[in-house]
Amino acid sequence: MTHKEHAALAARLAVGAVLVYAGASKAAGPAEDFAYIISAYDVIPRDFVMLAAALMPWVELFVGWALILGFQTRLAAAASGALFLGFLGAVGSTVLRGIALPNCGCFGEGIHFTPGQAFLLDSCLLVLCWFGWSMPPGRASLDRWMQRGL
Amino acid sequence: MNAMLARRLAAFALVAALSVGSMLVARGARKPFSPAAPDYRQKGPAGAKVLIVEFSDFECPACRYAEKPLHDLLTLYEGKVRFVFKHFPLRMHQWARPAAIAAECAGRQGRFWEYHDRLYDRQEEWANDKAESFLTSYAVAAKLDMNAWLSCRADPALPALLEAELKDGANAWVGSTPTFFINGKRFVGSKQLGERGTTFIEGELKR
Repeated sequence: MTHKEHAALAARLAVGAVLVYAGASKAAGPAEDFAYIISAYDVIPRDFVMLAAALMPWVELFVGWALILGFQTRLAAAASGALFLGFLGAVGSTVLRGIALPNCGCFGEGIHFTPGQAFLLDSCLLVLCWFGWSMPPGRASLDRWMQRGL
Repeated sequence: MNAMLARRLAAFALVAALSVGSMLVARGARKPFSPAAPDYRQKGPAGAKVLIVEFSDFECPACRYAEKPLHDLLTLYEGKVRFVFKHFPLRMHQWARPAAIAAECAGRQGRFWEYHDRLYDRQEEWANDKAESFLTSYAVAAKLDMNAWLSCRADPALPALLEAELKDGANAWVGSTPTFFINGKRFVGSKQLGERGTTFIEGELKR
């Protein structure tokens, strides 16, 4: 493996692991708890809050595993980048509007971050998504296996 | 089906299976929770068709905001619902446990609701390092037998009771306060209770 492939693999694994942890901790809990946090952000219309609370953890889980395994790697990296951009926008808007969040909701009830910590984490992960998107997925990926077989 | 398509489908299935599997691992074993509480923390007819269980924390501002929609619901369905209050003092709230114990001791003298209302109404006043003197002044205002109230607060059974209710909450996957269960259906916070509680109760009463 080249250095570029190593870097891309490390970036994929880091972002994927965070997304899987975040998605699993929220998907495992009741959607109402996550809906409570989402509604505190006040960025999604009220009627869609429960739907978002039910779907978002599964999107995080699927994209996270896709990154770890290198499945549709560029698409998964782009999707995770879009997720982090959305999270950054949501957290930033609450700070600008002076909304005090009970919890960032990033990891369900597992880990509580302040808006500043969440902003920093999401920014770092966004940079890693760019690495994952811009570099080839390499041999340690399902993409390579799908193209060439074992 | 060509080999590449088969590999694509297999890879998709693997990603989907790992997603479901990791959720199941995170979920662990769900356990039933007990809605039981002392009689002085229950309101409404025992055989009511609708049971509302609240997990709450006296120091939590969101619990204070939920008092109004909850009161409106209980007034609207008076005689048709049973309400049970369960303690869920969050670790981050330093004064929530002493307040819960103080309220329990008021309850043993038949004044739980009076003390409960006062704690929420004056939350901003007592939830600080002067909590002890305010909790005592509320007991005086509620005309409690102060000797009995003070000795009750030292009862080692009360911290154990709080632990048991925290365990009930953990078994019910309570993550935020207030969390309400209306005939087992979860509502988190005053918004969910206010927006969907009435419709749900109407449905339950029509069953």
